[in-house]
Amino acid sequence: MATPKGGNFGKVLEIDLSKLTYKTRPVSDEILQQYIGGRGLGAYYALTEYKAGKNAFDENAFVFVGPGPLSGTMAVSHRTCFVNISPLTGRLNHSECGAHIASEIKFAGWDGIYIKGKAKKPTWFTVVNDKVEFKDASRMWGKTTDEAHEMMIKEMKDPEIRTAVIGPAGENGALQANVIVERFRAASRSNTGPVFGDKKLKGFAVRGTKYAVPVADNAKFLAAARTGKEINIAGEAWEGLKRWGTGGLMELKHFLHGSLITKNFQTTWYPDVVKIGGEEAARTFWKRHSSCTNCPAHCLKLGVIRDGKYKGLVAESPEYESGGLLGSNLGMTKFDEMTALIEACDAYGLDNISTGGTLGFLTEAMEKGAIKPADLDGLKPKWGDCDTYMAMIRKIALREGKAGKFMAQGVARMSKQIGKGSDAYANVVKGRELAAHDPRGDKIRAYSYTMGTNGGDHHEGQGSKALAMTAMADSLCSCSFTSMLIWGANTDKIVTDMLNGLCGWNMKPEDYWTTAKRIMTAERLLNVREGISSKDDRLPKRFFTEKLPAGPKKDAIFTAEDQKKMEADTYGFFGWDAKGIPTEATLKAYGMDAFIGELNAAKKKYNL
Amino acid sequence: MEEKKLPDVLKKETTRRDFLRGTATAAGSALAITAIGGIAPKKAEAQYSVQTAPGTKPYAQKYRFAERQNCTGCRSCEFACSLFHTGTARPALSRIYIAKYKDIVDVPVMCWHCDDAPCIAACPTTPKAIQKDPKTNGIVLNEKICLGAKCMKCQEACPAKYIRGNPDTGQPLICDLCGGDPQCVKACQEQAGNPQGPCLMGRPIGLGVNMAYRSVTPEQAGKDLANLLFYPNVEGKRVVPAKTRKGR
Repeated sequence: MATPKGGNFGKVLEIDLSKLTYKTRPVSDEILQQYIGGRGLGAYYALTEYKAGKNAFDENAFVFVGPGPLSGTMAVSHRTCFVNISPLTGRLNHSECGAHIASEIKFAGWDGIYIKGKAKKPTWFTVVNDKVEFKDASRMWGKTTDEAHEMMIKEMKDPEIRTAVIGPAGENGALQANVIVERFRAASRSNTGPVFGDKKLKGFAVRGTKYAVPVADNAKFLAAARTGKEINIAGEAWEGLKRWGTGGLMELKHFLHGSLITKNFQTTWYPDVVKIGGEEAARTFWKRHSSCTNCPAHCLKLGVIRDGKYKGLVAESPEYESGGLLGSNLGMTKFDEMTALIEACDAYGLDNISTGGTLGFLTEAMEKGAIKPADLDGLKPKWGDCDTYMAMIRKIALREGKAGKFMAQGVARMSKQIGKGSDAYANVVKGRELAAHDPRGDKIRAYSYTMGTNGGDHHEGQGSKALAMTAMADSLCSCSFTSMLIWGANTDKIVTDMLNGLCGWNMKPEDYWTTAKRIMTAERLLNVREGISSKDDRLPKRFFTEKLPAGPKKDAIFTAEDQKKMEADTYGFFGWDAKGIPTEATLKAYGMDAFIGELNAAKKKYNL
Repeated sequence: MEEKKLPDVLKKETTRRDFLRGTATAAGSALAITAIGGIAPKKAEAQYSVQTAPGTKPYAQKYRFAERQNCTGCRSCEFACSLFHTGTARPALSRIYIAKYKDIVDVPVMCWHCDDAPCIAACPTTPKAIQKDPKTNGIVLNEKICLGAKCMKCQEACPAKYIRGNPDTGQPLICDLCGGDPQCVKACQEQAGNPQGPCLMGRPIGLGVNMAYRSVTPEQAGKDLANLLFYPNVEGKRVVPAKTRKGR
């Protein structure tokens, strides 16, 4: 077992909440070279440690918080990846978020944090360099994410600590709950919130001052990292991202692409977008821009509401997904009300996307008469009704009353309970609510929704190659905006140049693709173990049966041919068979011989 | 104006369009990219560049100035500084750092290179462990003489509350202006520009402003910024939801 020459320390911090102990978990350079870090390393742990059917709430179910090899180095923009079994989907899912916590974990001398076990009472822990301390979180329990974050800073007497916390939603086990990092960033699509809540873990704080990420060949790495960053600076592509954040995409997707989610995917034409989109925000709301570590794109925008019912509301709003799901999806026409919904979700620690999907689905179900106000404790949601939505968000977060418990299970389960043909407008893929891109207007997005590991996730890559590149970006924990999306066809070369200099590896650009496909295939194998195959890689009914009624992509529909083409393309690219199952030859080609037995067992079990 | 040096992979004159095309085939999201590029105004080329027009003398960067409200908190200054001084990225050893105030604003905390240098005046050793380099105006630390953590008189004397201790040696981290070519300024300027200018500038902005700015502590600067930007919620408190459940 070789220790890494650079990029990684070769040690992951293992936290055992049952015993309130921690230890170093060595990780070899070979494994890191095969699975890189972050998302890939999390998948590797699941593949080697879990049996099929692992429950998210098992005592030894882990949450892996991974920076990647590039975090904390001169490479551009660092993100963090959370990997765990999602209680919403029952499968291993991953989510990524920005901010500074990734580099801080590296500066504390760790390649990742592996959290297992269950505490007996509310707990949080701090990682300051080599030292870990477990602390009592009973005072924080029940507090919103920003309050908990502030209490941690106060207790540590250090404003520079980086935190990741859950809100009341996670504590109460709402399946849409997420982890909020440093108050404004969210790692949502792995539903880590209820897992933390089940572990009685309010969150953790990290501070690293002692270490620098070791570099095998400084000159070589710095040149490659410089190239990567310079393309971001010199290129024009992200000038719009700098100016408008992803909020500016709302107008774009509405006016040009015809893919802005509107009223639970009923249409993509929503002229009121001008009242809630990026331009409105720029004129009346945004006050400053905020960046992740070492990133030139500063896409996060903060602002303050100056008047009205929510006067004084300081918020990060809108991003494309949050503004889409909690804005146009709910028919909101007032900027401050949409922002208040976004902020409420963040405060309670709820995934904006899944929560928005839940609210949109229920509104349509009410409209169609599938449910009655009595089913929702007397609440009657209708498009644009902020107060009712606010009450529903609160109920979900606190799992309050019959309605709260009902809504906190997400769209897939609700639709099953309701029946009455509600699956015609239950927009989920593999159990997860779709994000804000309508795949009829933006067909390539269907790859991300259906072929990605999470299902329903907008950030899995558009196209078969992009799926692989995103898997790689999430494992390196670099932002896809500032890496693969702007480096384009040069990504493989830039990434391998960086890794060779940083880690002392000898990767060729082809190896980039092999590694990416290996990570995707490992995750696919985990999915196959849970019975996933091509039958699940499908968009919901609505996109095959209802044409877009208006907008720039009027009459667009997702056809069976589109689906077939997408399947053939993706499965062919990754070396999976027609049912989307990795073949034995593929596993061998990626050096995953050890898992062939598992593959065959799963194939037999589910008759694939 | 000097043309921006292209990175190696782009030497074959890859135009932006080629880039987008490459991304289109690779990532299939050319739509998003072109569109974002489309909305964007063309970058004001090197408007804020440290490089000055040909024929004029480059600015002697003997002072720096921070337009605090432009700081996005990316910490590229910290990375550039620690890389220059230690060879690796380690912000804990950076001579400039970003302080957070109430999570809503970032404050660049840096040396103003005061002409009267209270830190040097306070240094108790003979000869002084910290001294100004007359050529660059940077403050240079003599690690052999400095008493380190047990002294830190310079830290007490600094009106800007800027000086931090080195977590390894305990000695003050103090700005030497990188020998006349401050890396933090470069790092900040090259990536700023849209929609606001850079935060750091390698010039004093005249009129004794540096002397006035220096007495503002990071906390006071944070308060000022929050007041400037986030009025009426200058504490950045969350307004929604007002009611939260007490602990179980």
